[in-house]
Amino acid sequence: MTQQPASVPVLSAESIQQRDNPYIMTVRRLFQHRSAQLGMALLGILIICAIFAEQIAPFDPIVPLKNVKRRDVACIHLLGCPAEQQEHLMGIDGNSRDLFSRIIFGARLSLIIGISTVSFAIIIGCFLGAIAGFIGGWLDDLIMRSLDVLMAFPSLLLAIAIVAVLGPGLINALLAIAIIEIPIFARVVRASVLSVKELDFISASRSLGASELRILLTRILPNALTPLIVQGTLGIASAILSAAALSFLGLGAEFPTPEWGLMLGEERNSVFNAPHLVFFPGIAIMLTVLSFNLIGDGLRDALDPRLANHGA
Amino acid sequence: MKRLSVLLSLVMLASIVLTACGSAPAATEAPAAPPTEAPTAVPAFAPAKLEAPDCNYGGNIKSIEAVDELTVKFTFCAPEPAFIAKVGSVEAFDIYDEGYLKEIGGDAAKLNENPVGTGPYIVKEWVRGDHITFEANPNYFGTKPANTTFILKWNKEAAARLLDLQAGNVSGIAEVTSDDLATIAADANLKLAPRKINNFLYLGINNAIPPFDNEKVRQAFAMLINKQQIVDDFYAPGSVAATQFVPPGVKPGYTDGFVDTTYDVAKGVEMLKAEGFDFEKEYTLSYAERTRPYFPQPTKIAQAVQAQLAEAGIKVKLEMEEWATYLPATREGKKELFFLGWSEDYPDATNWYDVFLMGTSKSFGAPFSDMTELISKAGKSGDPVERQKMYDEVNKLYAQHVPTIVIAHGTVNQAYLATVENVEIGPYNENFPQMKTPDGTVIFSQDGEPVSLMCADETDGNSFRACNLIFSKLYTFTTTSIAEPDLAESCTGNADATEWTCVLKKGVVFSNGAALDANDVVASFSIGMDYKNPLRKGNTGAFQYFKDLLGPKVINQPAE
Repeated sequence: MTQQPASVPVLSAESIQQRDNPYIMTVRRLFQHRSAQLGMALLGILIICAIFAEQIAPFDPIVPLKNVKRRDVACIHLLGCPAEQQEHLMGIDGNSRDLFSRIIFGARLSLIIGISTVSFAIIIGCFLGAIAGFIGGWLDDLIMRSLDVLMAFPSLLLAIAIVAVLGPGLINALLAIAIIEIPIFARVVRASVLSVKELDFISASRSLGASELRILLTRILPNALTPLIVQGTLGIASAILSAAALSFLGLGAEFPTPEWGLMLGEERNSVFNAPHLVFFPGIAIMLTVLSFNLIGDGLRDALDPRLANHGA
Repeated sequence: MKRLSVLLSLVMLASIVLTACGSAPAATEAPAAPPTEAPTAVPAFAPAKLEAPDCNYGGNIKSIEAVDELTVKFTFCAPEPAFIAKVGSVEAFDIYDEGYLKEIGGDAAKLNENPVGTGPYIVKEWVRGDHITFEANPNYFGTKPANTTFILKWNKEAAARLLDLQAGNVSGIAEVTSDDLATIAADANLKLAPRKINNFLYLGINNAIPPFDNEKVRQAFAMLINKQQIVDDFYAPGSVAATQFVPPGVKPGYTDGFVDTTYDVAKGVEMLKAEGFDFEKEYTLSYAERTRPYFPQPTKIAQAVQAQLAEAGIKVKLEMEEWATYLPATREGKKELFFLGWSEDYPDATNWYDVFLMGTSKSFGAPFSDMTELISKAGKSGDPVERQKMYDEVNKLYAQHVPTIVIAHGTVNQAYLATVENVEIGPYNENFPQMKTPDGTVIFSQDGEPVSLMCADETDGNSFRACNLIFSKLYTFTTTSIAEPDLAESCTGNADATEWTCVLKKGVVFSNGAALDANDVVASFSIGMDYKNPLRKGNTGAFQYFKDLLGPKVINQPAE
């Protein structure tokens, strides 16, 4: 596809790139997209927290602190907390740990959860969807009908059932979430493959003697990438949410892991007498999911050629 | 269309034939029933008797016999000075109607549908998963309840229970967490009702699972738990850290001035290293998230202990389990480290030492023979000074063997609406029947649903609270720690406390109309005490309390 601009001889290389390079155009549209801007800003903060958690978090997220008051509210020096008192931006949790440090480390965990489950689901889903769409026939029916069955289940219930079989634990919960996301990606890929595989340039490739595998990998799949990117971004959001839900129910991360859903779950009885303990993990989950959803929406608009001239 | 109607009629025909066949045996049974009923229509009292072949079966009951219609005699192999306190303690010793037990085959599931008892209330309905509604029992032999309706609800979440109370949906709640005490104290519409009961939370160690078969390892673990810190953080005011096996209120039993193993991480780690303890392995600490007087915040306490052990470099994985599967699993000896606790059933040391340290369950692995000998001797002695000496010795051995690590003795609070009058909370029971509300309905929210209403086969307080309202025992504890006669007029023991004769009250009637007689008492004890009793079905069939309080083994129990 990169050869195409080169075949237009009239304009200078620079202006061509500026106007026509689809990637740059997409990125530009994305950056102009209001909600995507907000989403990327939030995600940026999240990624910085995740990478530099050790440097940002003032305390160990797991070891209980000595000489602090359990469930103490936030102490911020700028907001009038006495200077001789140790600063705790979000207060202390029920086991005498610094809540802010736990939230920061939770960001790392949430990103790992979202990205790993979605990557797993994309790899498997892509493979199944591509085979189903490309080969077709009874194999298509077999794969897609079994995935339809998987999709017909309420996703969280299915995840709970899978974890119940595998046993509780973060890895098993991630596996369960990945499994429930597979059909979504398989469908997206299959739809793209079906729409592309009958086009003229595929026939051209075939008549030039390209093998079927080569056609699938180098001609068809790249064209399925666009919807996959959008779906993948939204998928990360739902994966983080599902993982938090499983942990909240005691089926995901184990104590004392600083996982946001788990933190919400263990402090659920503090909702009236120490609300900050459920407020901050809840806000963290919300903002993270929001950021991925906003970026996903922005990507969808940016990658849609029909909206290319309208902006957003 | 035609074919379909033919098919349908065929199916109908087949179903008619099938139902006819199905009902055929029932029809042949029906005529057989009247002849068996005829003799019982004129009841000549045939005294029943349960007797052990000898005293070597491993339990303490020699025989239970109905002497006459209203007299029951309990004979023991060895002295049983705590008899009255024991039979008056837990709802496991509820008295059932013998005829009704036979009718339902001793099945708890059937009893749940229609619990026939002699208590102040009868069950109107049990909406599974939601509530049980009780109505005053018109035939009750004692003081009539002051309220006409009692509703028992449950909610696992402390915050939800408190919200229910604040909204006035319930009259009272159980198990107020220490974090909510300030909120309730500040609310003029609510009042706190402290419940003082001897109890403990322990970290159970199964000495059948390596490396905990090593006494030194267990001793080291005892040094690594900072009990005082846990009590300060999670328990209500008035709770104390444990220094020995029993709480301070258990006398004889508690050794005054006993010096506990001191909290010393460095020394504990050194000991573990000397024993070749594997610090790389991950050990599993199990618990059930079930708030009890001794376990106010399960998940937080479990995490605190996990963190304390982590300080010593020991990797511990927390495993949260459902209560219904958790308790049997610990008793079967499947858990290496676990949290459990105990609230006293009756004020005597036998309710502590005999229940836990005699090996009636496999929770801690094998019992220690030097301790069991002293404990069974002390339990059979009537002399408090002698008993105290023996228990002093047991307490020392306990610190040496470390079968468990007792962590804390908690105080717990219930909370009621300020409009509820006459609230009295005893160590064992609440005076629910005598509480008064403006509309005559008392609604109480506890933290879990009763498992079944056949409490002979239950062990948990949530079931006992319901059973206490429906059934009666020979003796009972109202809101004091002194057993008072209930179904019995009185029970009197002989000089060496090996024979106890109980005279029953006259004119007590079960809610199905049957009159209470001595055979009902024999039958009720037989299902628990006789392993081969045909009516010993219950809920799980364990009948644990009969082993714990009158055992350790029951009659006809097969060797393992």
